[in-house]
Amino acid sequence: MNINFSKQELAFQTEVREFLQDYNDIDGFLSQGPVWPQVRAMFSAMGERNWLALTWPEEYGGMGKGHSYEYILWNEVAYARAARNPLSSGVVAKSIMRYGSDEQKQTFLPKIRTGEVHFSLCYSEPEAGSDLAGLRTKAQLNDAGTHYVLNGQKCWQSYAQDMDFLWILARTGKQEDRGRGLSLFICDKQTAGITVSPLPTVDDDQLNEVFFDNVEVPVAQRVGPENGAWAIIGEALADERHIQFPPGRVRRDLEEMVDWLNAQGLGDDPVIRERMAHLVSKVMEAEILGLRVLEAMEKGRNATVDAAMNKIVHTLTCQDIPRMVLDYGGPEALVNGYRPEQIWRQSIMETIGGGTSEIMRSVVSRQALGLKG
Amino acid sequence: MDFELNEDQQAILEAVDRLLEQHAGPTRAIELFANNTYDSELQQALEESGFSNILNDMAMEEGKLAGLEAALVVEAVARAAGVCAIGSQIMLAPLLTGKELTDQALEGPVAICLRSQIEKPVPLRYGANAKTLLVLADSNSDDDLEVITLGDGDMESVKSNFGYPMGRLVNTSVSGTKLGADVASKVRNWWRLSLAIETVGTMEAALNHTVEYVKQRRQFGRAIGSFQAIQHRLSLCAIQVEGSRWLAREAAYHNAQDEAVANAAAFAIAAADKVFGESHQMSGAVGFTREFDLHVWSMRLHTLRQELGGLGGHRKAVVAARWG
Ligand SMILES: Cc1cc2nc3c(=O)[nH]c(=O)nc-3n(C[C@H](O)[C@H](O)[C@H](O)COP(=O)(O)OP(=O)(O)OC[C@H]3O[C@@H](n4cnc5c(N)ncnc54)[C@H](O)[C@@H]3O)c2cc1C
Repeated sequence: MNINFSKQELAFQTEVREFLQDYNDIDGFLSQGPVWPQVRAMFSAMGERNWLALTWPEEYGGMGKGHSYEYILWNEVAYARAARNPLSSGVVAKSIMRYGSDEQKQTFLPKIRTGEVHFSLCYSEPEAGSDLAGLRTKAQLNDAGTHYVLNGQKCWQSYAQDMDFLWILARTGKQEDRGRGLSLFICDKQTAGITVSPLPTVDDDQLNEVFFDNVEVPVAQRVGPENGAWAIIGEALADERHIQFPPGRVRRDLEEMVDWLNAQGLGDDPVIRERMAHLVSKVMEAEILGLRVLEAMEKGRNATVDAAMNKIVHTLTCQDIPRMVLDYGGPEALVNGYRPEQIWRQSIMETIGGGTSEIMRSVVSRQALGLKG
Repeated sequence: MDFELNEDQQAILEAVDRLLEQHAGPTRAIELFANNTYDSELQQALEESGFSNILNDMAMEEGKLAGLEAALVVEAVARAAGVCAIGSQIMLAPLLTGKELTDQALEGPVAICLRSQIEKPVPLRYGANAKTLLVLADSNSDDDLEVITLGDGDMESVKSNFGYPMGRLVNTSVSGTKLGADVASKVRNWWRLSLAIETVGTMEAALNHTVEYVKQRRQFGRAIGSFQAIQHRLSLCAIQVEGSRWLAREAAYHNAQDEAVANAAAFAIAAADKVFGESHQMSGAVGFTREFDLHVWSMRLHTLRQELGGLGGHRKAVVAARWG
């Protein structure tokens, strides 16, 4: 056992911290929309250092490093509150490397690596949330066999208002084929027939609905085999497990809540201090489970259960930390824009987005405990 | 023993629900909240229909305060997400009318806070709209009450995302009529009771909204409400709401005695956090959007959680009432 980062990894951590000094004020992690230009600029600066391709193989211009480097990078970025990891260099790029055509690799990988193009994930639909395999957006091959024609609706797309491309899961097979009837497509957001419309959220940010009205997508923009998307999206998810819930976020949350309570003169109250201690344990639990996920990935072990446990713990901790302030902070805690209330409203979604806590619990009970049904 | 409402109480409830159908509801609450506006129309309608003074009016006939009837009205207005200082208007103001202070009704909206919250002003529910401010000592051991008539500019509006228009005192040298410990402790208890009742109405509405949703939302070919993981947790919420309701109504029925109100408030406030969490969780992503009305009630629960010292304050009051 060795629960330490290596010298080289720690040196990289220091480099990341230095880099982030220029971006400590962006505040794009909790709410990216309002500061997208700054976040985008930061991604481009990362691109210049090739940090968006840390783990990519060298043949695609990557640095060929281990998962720990990505973990360190996005954990520090989360702690700095700068941004969430972009989908483009993770889910999208890694799927293209594995399943994409040469043309897709040549077209997209260099631009993703430099932070030039960004993607929105179009999976969920009004009728397909937890039950993603039930989705209905249809992609019908035209008679000439040159294009798919997309019709349907997606919803709850994060950041779609600002992204350049859409990464779309759509039905090419029969409805009853469920996950076996789905394909993946890349589509420029400006393509005729696509409408993105905002869904305001309770944290004063937005999600989006994305409508497809006879949208023509060239066959060459399908990624992987027809009806073969289910395995691709599963593997893409697996690729990102170590960076999806960086514990730096909850560590920072706790620090900010404690600062706020101290500023209100409440930090010496023994009842509140006991709660602080409890939350320190929760944050450390999230950290150690996060490292377990990383270790599983580094060793090539299936991390599904570790990741589910980590997601449950991490996201509940996101909610428990501001709850301390709402329990003890008094009416001052309600003022718009203060960190505690901002994090409280934002954290509602953490136990829902990216797979709900209930679905994660089912993963643990089925796969770790062997309970079927 | 009879928990059924009698005919008069039933009639009050029906009448207030009819009025609320016209003057309240989530759509109106969202509209008003967007502009941080107070619902003067609703307040006026409640006054004109005689609900505002129900506590005292019925007392005239029956010789005792009509706590339960007043509670039914407050609960209904909270369920309908009325943007109106209903608790203070129905439960507190009548206690002071015709007493040492004045034979006129207190001018509403009435906001209320603790002494330390004037010295270091905090956001108050309906603060920016209030015409009258009631100030209680921080602890009931040295209880007193000050009734302050507010002038233009004494309060400023504060933006909050928790369902009520809020305001903060800017003129910290305001002062008014001081009343003694006797009336202060009454006002304190009725304030606690009204918080408990408002919490009950608000969380019941949040829970109902969620239950309706899980009945119609289908995933994996079935209503999500058919999953035991959902059913069991919503059942626990329903039990919490039921417990909160009857503890609060019991406290109202006995006209706001120390221990009963402290316990009712402590219980309801703790339940509120639970109902908040579960109702959002079961509503999935749609519950995170402003398209879905859940936030109208769920966010309010957190404002209610902050008053009168919050959960800790209510629990201290329980212990003080029982063991001194
Ligand atoms: C902030 C945010 C950002 C998002 N970003 C994106 C994005 O960029 N792209 C995208 O495609 N999607 C996105 N989503 C959608 C997300 O993937 C879905 O919200 C999620 O999969 C859950 O689906 P749902 O919201 O429809 O909830 P539902 O599936 O309707 O679930 C509602 C409730 O029922 C429970 N439930 C469902 N099935 C079961 C079961 N079998 N057993 C027990 N309980 C069950 C759930 O756990 C939940 O509590 C985002 C969501 C949020 C909140």
